[in-house]
Amino acid sequence: MARTSSTSQGETAILGKGTNLRGRIAGDGDLRVEGTISGDVALKGHLTVHGGAEITADVQARSVVVEGAIEGDISATEAVAIRAGARVSGAIRGASISIEEGATVNGRIDADFELPPELGGKGAR
Amino acid sequence: MASTVISQGITIEGELTTDDDVVIEGTLRGKLVSKDTVRVETGAVVEADIVASSLSVGGQITGNVTASDRVDLMPGGRLIGDVKAARLTIADGASFKGNVDMDV
Amino acid sequence: MADVTVIGQGIFLRGSIKGDGDVEIRGRVEGDVEVAGEVTIGEGALVKADVTARRITVRGAVAGNLTGEDGVRLEEGARVVGDLRGAGIGIAEGALLRGNVQTGTGGEGRTRARQQPAQARTPARVEPRKAPTLVAKTSTPGRKIAPPEERPAPPPPVVPVLKKGSRAVLRKRSR
Repeated sequence: MARTSSTSQGETAILGKGTNLRGRIAGDGDLRVEGTISGDVALKGHLTVHGGAEITADVQARSVVVEGAIEGDISATEAVAIRAGARVSGAIRGASISIEEGATVNGRIDADFELPPELGGKGAR
Repeated sequence: MASTVISQGITIEGELTTDDDVVIEGTLRGKLVSKDTVRVETGAVVEADIVASSLSVGGQITGNVTASDRVDLMPGGRLIGDVKAARLTIADGASFKGNVDMDV
Repeated sequence: MADVTVIGQGIFLRGSIKGDGDVEIRGRVEGDVEVAGEVTIGEGALVKADVTARRITVRGAVAGNLTGEDGVRLEEGARVVGDLRGAGIGIAEGALLRGNVQTGTGGEGRTRARQQPAQARTPARVEPRKAPTLVAKTSTPGRKIAPPEERPAPPPPVVPVLKKGSRAVLRKRSR
């Protein structure tokens, strides 16, 4: 049964455990995903993908925490945190990216930084 | 907290299916199928067909709604579309345009 | 327990390091590192080499691929340009990486790590050795000049199967 939820702005949207979305989700707020999404996610807020949740699409948000599975590219203006037990395949972009050992990751990380000149500067890759 | 909450500022385009209850405060376009209660809150904009066990409408819905139990149009609620439900209540101050089929 | 070989801060080693023990690099290494134990690349270390080991921990700068059978861990301050492979991969906040990440589960990761020692993986940017090397086990001159391998194409973009359908639904709905 739905309990009363305030309509104050900045509240976290939730896609519950038994919920399956085929389509896109976008918005200003935060989103917690416990179910499955096949479709792009574009948020100005924070995205949390719980253990057991699955997203099959590209994901954009301010920050992303993954405990479940994402098959698609992840892009965050702030931090991306991939926790142990998570499964990620796709490119990962973010101001800071962390991966816990125990996560299954198959993808690419492209941080923007310079290698020391002794190693050939930017490292042309 | 409801299991699924589409809060204000969030837009979903597509087909949402769930076993659990849903609260919509934001925007939904497409289709919503729930085995539980669906609440469309004041300020919510729904352009979708809705299938649920029961549905309360405080916001705005454009689409056909089907409820195995009941549909309640709350004051300020607005529904453009057909209703198929065992029971239907329309509060004073609600607006509704569409057909009603209570023969479920 | 195997001894730890330490490449100290003032050392510049051009060549390869091979063996059973653990290696800690605090200085500069250019070439290959292939050991059975653990490799620690310390803060301030400069490594231009593919590194293969049971476990690799990085706090310094690396240009090269890192393959850790059990795992690869980039700690805060690590800067790596190269691919990471291992059963488990950890990247701490504040570590920087440009490259592919591939974890393997248990045996799969092990096999992969074993089948892919540094050989023939040498990317173009590692120049063939010019100077005579300091290490005994360097008698594989042909190896380094192996043709640079093409980098694998990035994974195909994920196209949600149902997107089209849902759009169709939308088009129908949104007048």
